[in-house]
Amino acid sequence: MHIGIWVDGLVQSCIYTTMAFGMVLVFSILGILNWAHGQFYMLGALVLYSAVMQAGLPFGAGLVIAALAMGLLGMLVERLIIDRVNVPRAIGALYVTAATISLQFFFVGGASMIWGRLEKGLGMVMPGVLTLGGVNISYQKIAVIVFTLIVMAIMYFVLEHTKIGLAIRAAAQRPDAAMLYGIHVGRIKTLVMGIGCAMAALAGCFMAPIYPVSPFMGGIPMIMSLLAIVIGGIGSLTGAIVGGVILGLLNSVIAYYMSYFSEVILFALVIIILLIRPQGLFGVAVK
Amino acid sequence: MTSHIDWRNTLPKIVACIIVVPALLVPLFTNNPASLSIVILSGIWAVVAMGFTLILWTGQFSLGQSAFMAIGGYTSAILTAHLDWPFWPSFLAAGLVSGIVACAVGAVVLRVGGFYFSIITLALGEIVRIIAMQWQSVTRGTRGLVTYPPETISLGFINIDFTASTVPWYYFMIVLVAFSGLIYWRIGKSRIGGTFFSVAANPMLAEHQGIHLMKYRVIAFTVAGVFTGLAGSFYGHFLSAMTPYTLGIQESIQVMIMSIVGGISSLVAGPIVGSVVLYNLSQFLQRLNLEGIHPVVFGGAIVCILLFLPKGTGLVDLWTKFWKRVYGEVDFYELPEDMEKDIEVH
Repeated sequence: MHIGIWVDGLVQSCIYTTMAFGMVLVFSILGILNWAHGQFYMLGALVLYSAVMQAGLPFGAGLVIAALAMGLLGMLVERLIIDRVNVPRAIGALYVTAATISLQFFFVGGASMIWGRLEKGLGMVMPGVLTLGGVNISYQKIAVIVFTLIVMAIMYFVLEHTKIGLAIRAAAQRPDAAMLYGIHVGRIKTLVMGIGCAMAALAGCFMAPIYPVSPFMGGIPMIMSLLAIVIGGIGSLTGAIVGGVILGLLNSVIAYYMSYFSEVILFALVIIILLIRPQGLFGVAVK
Repeated sequence: MTSHIDWRNTLPKIVACIIVVPALLVPLFTNNPASLSIVILSGIWAVVAMGFTLILWTGQFSLGQSAFMAIGGYTSAILTAHLDWPFWPSFLAAGLVSGIVACAVGAVVLRVGGFYFSIITLALGEIVRIIAMQWQSVTRGTRGLVTYPPETISLGFINIDFTASTVPWYYFMIVLVAFSGLIYWRIGKSRIGGTFFSVAANPMLAEHQGIHLMKYRVIAFTVAGVFTGLAGSFYGHFLSAMTPYTLGIQESIQVMIMSIVGGISSLVAGPIVGSVVLYNLSQFLQRLNLEGIHPVVFGGAIVCILLFLPKGTGLVDLWTKFWKRVYGEVDFYELPEDMEKDIEVH
């Protein structure tokens, strides 16, 4: 057995899950897919790199700074661009798609101007290896999994047990009714966009010590988390988590056993799942 | 004395002539292959963007148009390189194969709509690229296939030689854009175009009117596939090589942005305006050779266009807006709102 492969898969799952969760949250409130989500992930990792390697801050402080900065940037994007482009018709989603994809170019270009195009490494934050019955797992990877679980737990608590979480859930279910009960849906939208982007930045920060950091690293996790939420069913938070775990594990395990065709198999699997269950695993069929 | 010229009818035609005639004469002004090839490639993207808009008219959002370009390009590249076919039959075969693939894929995949369809077409693009990369014996993998220019056409008094200069390619592009534009325009004006619109606007109502949704979606997807395949074959032979990296997700996204920025209310004018404006802007910015600033300006420009255009319109609709301001004419797309007002009155 190659436990290492499964652990690697789990680490990837954590990253995809955190990203997919933010994306689904944004989708369920704003009704749009944020195609620049992968770029928030990339910017989060780069801000962390600057904070830790250039400003010399501790890792935890860098994590908080990156998440806050990306949250604010996400709110700004929602206020300045998405809210203005999103016309209240089916066509609005189209314009938001075009605008967020253009933001993708914008952020990648901006990041390569500021940080350069080369890949950078952050260096180990938690050196050391845990040996468990002949299997070596670095503390780094365990930390990623633990941190993801903590973030998920916090999100669960916020959504289920706080007033703001109640407002978010109400705005997701019935925006009009939520407005009648005095919930400022416009502000909820901005807040949720900020939370979603902060989660993408957190995913980038978790990943930064393990993989190299560059302005072009946002593309593949973006596509993968998109596939994850499609498998899980768009609009379902459980679906996003399950889809992320499935994709992360599959990605690393299939790539280990059949290197070349892993992506073909992955995409073919997604197509088959969608043909059998078009609304996704946890989605509700809408007729 | 009053004028008997119907300016409403003639002015748009005059403006169209003012745009089209210089477009035909571009090779007189410049022989520079670099500038000509920019114009040629923006024409190719216009054909692909028209296909995207047609699919969009049935309410579906395809992110895999570059997959059909790649299928077309590889078909004609394989036919010319391995089977020694001449260019012209393989060019037509490229459209045919791409259309058949679009029909087969569409019949299965169009069952799921909306975002899911977008994701599946996105996956399709990746699958085509990976197959092209891995099927070494036929596609030569990442090394790519070398494609040859079309054979010289002898017209008696003149020989059209595609190897000597870029000018024949230019007219070939004009013919391709004009032909596909004509077909798309006729489709848009005909009954079937209206049916596409109703399928997109209200699928349930359309189904209750006896319109077979799947049939029209597959028709749109197939027509777009045929022309996209032709454009892909042109693209491959013009660039003189097909590699798996030539066409990917980036290109599909580019086509989508061109179509939306140009305006999706028209099948022909919008894609042409969008692709010409955006492709030339992108190439111009690349030539400025400012390190890293090119994507920033490009992305920022598109966001600004989307922000400052009237809500829900593209560049081509500015012309319609101007026209309405001059004459106060009611156009086709505002008809439903007027009908709503009528209903309220009665």
